[in-house]
Amino acid sequence: MTSGRPVHRETAWRVFANELNASSLEIKATEEKMPSYVVSHLGAKINRVLVAGTLTEKINGGTDDEPMWRARIQDVNGQFFINVGRFQPEAAAAMADLEAPCFVAAVGRVRSYTPQGSDRPMITVRPEHIVEIDEHTLNEWLLEAARSAWTRLRWMKQVVSVEDAKVPDLIAMGMTPSQAEGMLYALDNYDSMPDSEAYLKTIQNALRRLLPEKDVDFGFPEGVDDIPEEIDVDGSRSGATDKTAMEDMVLRLLEELDTDGKGAPRDELERRAEAEGISAIDLEEVSNSLMDKGLVYEPNLRYLKLI
Amino acid sequence: MNETELAPHVAEIKKVLGDTVDEETILAELNRYLNDYHVEITAAKRGIIRKYGKSDTIATSNGVSKKIADLNGTETSVDLLAKVVFVTRKEITVKGLSKTILSGILGDDSGTASFTVWEPGSVELDKGSVYQFRSCYCKTWNDKVQVNIGRNGSITPMPDVSMEVPNSNISLTSSDVSIGDIREGMGSVNVKGKILSVEARKITSKGVEKVVYSGMIADSTGKIQFSAWHDFGLKEGDVISARNCYIRAWKSIPQLNIGDRATVDRIDEEIDVATTDTLRTVDEIVRIGGGLDITIEGTIVDVKSGSGLIKRCPQCRRALNGGTCTVHGTVDGVPDLRLKLVVDDGTGAIGAVINRRETEELTGVSLDSAMAVASQKGEAVVARDLMRKALLRRIRITGNVMSDDYGPSMIVRSAKGIETDLQAEAEKLLAEVEASI
Repeated sequence: MTSGRPVHRETAWRVFANELNASSLEIKATEEKMPSYVVSHLGAKINRVLVAGTLTEKINGGTDDEPMWRARIQDVNGQFFINVGRFQPEAAAAMADLEAPCFVAAVGRVRSYTPQGSDRPMITVRPEHIVEIDEHTLNEWLLEAARSAWTRLRWMKQVVSVEDAKVPDLIAMGMTPSQAEGMLYALDNYDSMPDSEAYLKTIQNALRRLLPEKDVDFGFPEGVDDIPEEIDVDGSRSGATDKTAMEDMVLRLLEELDTDGKGAPRDELERRAEAEGISAIDLEEVSNSLMDKGLVYEPNLRYLKLI
Repeated sequence: MNETELAPHVAEIKKVLGDTVDEETILAELNRYLNDYHVEITAAKRGIIRKYGKSDTIATSNGVSKKIADLNGTETSVDLLAKVVFVTRKEITVKGLSKTILSGILGDDSGTASFTVWEPGSVELDKGSVYQFRSCYCKTWNDKVQVNIGRNGSITPMPDVSMEVPNSNISLTSSDVSIGDIREGMGSVNVKGKILSVEARKITSKGVEKVVYSGMIADSTGKIQFSAWHDFGLKEGDVISARNCYIRAWKSIPQLNIGDRATVDRIDEEIDVATTDTLRTVDEIVRIGGGLDITIEGTIVDVKSGSGLIKRCPQCRRALNGGTCTVHGTVDGVPDLRLKLVVDDGTGAIGAVINRRETEELTGVSLDSAMAVASQKGEAVVARDLMRKALLRRIRITGNVMSDDYGPSMIVRSAKGIETDLQAEAEKLLAEVEASI
C-alpha cells in the first residue's frame, strides 16, 4: 500500500496582478515534497500561476552566459514582477528574444520576498515558460482571470455567511479541495475582509477591454493601481541555494530509487525530480555537476548511481 | 477477570484444542495464569494452547473479537469469525518486487468488508467457507473498512461453523448511480444503461475455461466498460437495468462487473446516450481517478521532454531509448512524432500524450517536415519549435484517462485548439456580476 498522498502538479492560478501582489500570507513548506504557497485575500492558495499581459520592460541583470532577467508584465490593473534565471533555461532563452512592448503569457511558480525595512512581502513570478501571444489569446486569459476572481469573490461572500464552515462544506459549494483550503486559510488568517471594491474594479476593467462597445460600469474609475517601487531580488544568491537544494534532492532520490543495486532508472528519476520541481534540464545540469564532483556515475545510459 | 468475561476466551481456546481438554480445565488454567501469575491474556492463551497439545505456533489475539459491522477501521489487532464471500489470488508489485496476495470479501451476519491476506503462503481460502481470522488489522479506504491479515495474523478453517451472510446486507449498500459518477471503491451499484457493444471472450480463471461477455454500456452521463460473468443474452442496443454490480478498476479506469450476485432486466425505456465525450474538469478526474472518453479544456502549461521526433520499435511500437527497445533490444526504429504535454484548466493539471496525427494537426508541423528540419539542424530544434507552437495555447482534448502516483494522464485521441466566443462569454460574466452587485 502506498502511504501519503500522491504528488500532483500544482494548479496554475489565473490571477490578476493586484490580487497576487496584495497577498501577505504564506504557507511555508514544513516537510519535503510539500510545496510552499502564497494565499491571496480572496483565498487563492497559489504555488503556480498562469499570467498574461503586456511585457513593458525587461533587463538582464546577469551576463549573456548566465542571464538574470527581470521584467514586468502589465495586466488590467497592475504589474507582475518577473524573474528569470539560469534555472529557467527555456524561459531565459525566450526572454532574450522578446522585445518590449508585446503581449506575453507566462507560467511559473511564485515566490515571496520581504525586502529589508518592509513589512509586506513582494511577490515575484519565476516563469518556466514565457511566450509572445496575440491579442485574442490575451483576451481569453483576461476572461478566465476575471471569471476566476469573480468566482472567488462570490464564494467568499457565501462562506462568510456560513457559521464555522469546514472544507467539506466548501467542496459542496463547488470548490476543489485546494480552493476550499485556501479560502478557509484566508478567512482565518487575514485580519480584515478583502477589499471587494478593488477586485470588482479589476473585473470591470477586464470586461471593458473585452466588450469595448459596451458601457461597462460598476461605478469605479478606470486606472492603474499603485505600483510598488523597483524590486531587486538577488538572483545569483538564491540561484546558488536552489542548486545546492536540488543536488541534495537528487542525491536523496538516487538513494531511494536504487532498489536493486543497479542504480536509479533515468526515466523514474526524471519523473520524481519533476514532481519535486526540478525540470529535466535542471536535472541534467545537476547530475552533470554531481558527476564532476565524483558523487555519482552512470553505469549505463539508462541509470544513474551513487558512488 | 471474572468467569463471564473469561467465557469467550475459554470458548476460543476450546475451539483450537478441540476435545483434548475440557472447559473447566481451561477456565482453571486461565484463572491461574491471569489471576495468580498476572500474565496478560495473549500470553496466557498461548501458554495454555502450548501446554495442551498444539505445538505449532498459533497466533492468538489480545482477545478482541468483533463483528464486521462493528469494525471502525482503526483496529490494530482484532479477531473475526467470518465467511469468505468472494476471494481471488492476485499478483501485485510492491517496491519493484512481485508478490502474491489473496483478496476478496468477508461477511458475517452483521455485514461485509473487503479483505487482503498479505502473506498467504500456501493458505487457500474457499469461497463459502467460514474461517477464524486472528490478529487482523483494519484500515479505511473511501470510507469503507478493509480487513488486513498480515504477518502476525492467522487463519483457521472452521468447518463446523455455518454462517448466513444475509444478502440484504449486501444489497443494502447497493446504490443507484449514473455511469458518469462511477468510481473505484464504490462497492455495489445499480445502473441503467444502453449496451453499445458486447462480445464473448473465452478466459481461463483458476484453470477453468469461462466465457465472459464484455463491452460498453452508456447512459446520458458517460460510458463504461463492463464484464458480465454469465450469459445474460445481452445484445447491442439493449437497454438494461443491472443491479448489484461491482466496480473494479484497471489502471484506475473503473469497470463495471456484472457478477454472480447481479441481476439484469431489460427495460422498456429509451436512454439518451452521452454524446461521444463528456466535458470534465481536472479536479473531477482527480477525484474519480480515470475513465473513458473524457474531454478536458485547458491551457498547455508545459511541454515535456520526450516530445518531438522519436523512434518506435517496429514490433511493439514502444518508444526506443537510445535505439533500444526494452523488450526487443536493438532494432531499426520507425520515426514518429508526438507531444507530451501538461494541460491545466484552473482546477488542476493533467499529463497528456498526443499522437502524431493530432500533433501534426495542432502544430502544423508534419513528420516529414520535422525530419527534414532535424536532418539539417538537429532534433532539438524540432522539439523547440513544437514547444513554442504548443505552449500556452488553449486546447480541448479527448481520450482515456488513468492515474498513478504522479496524478492523472490522458492518452489523447483527439486534440483541437479552442475558439472561444469571447464576446458571448464576456457578456455572460458581465450579466452575472451586474445581477449581484
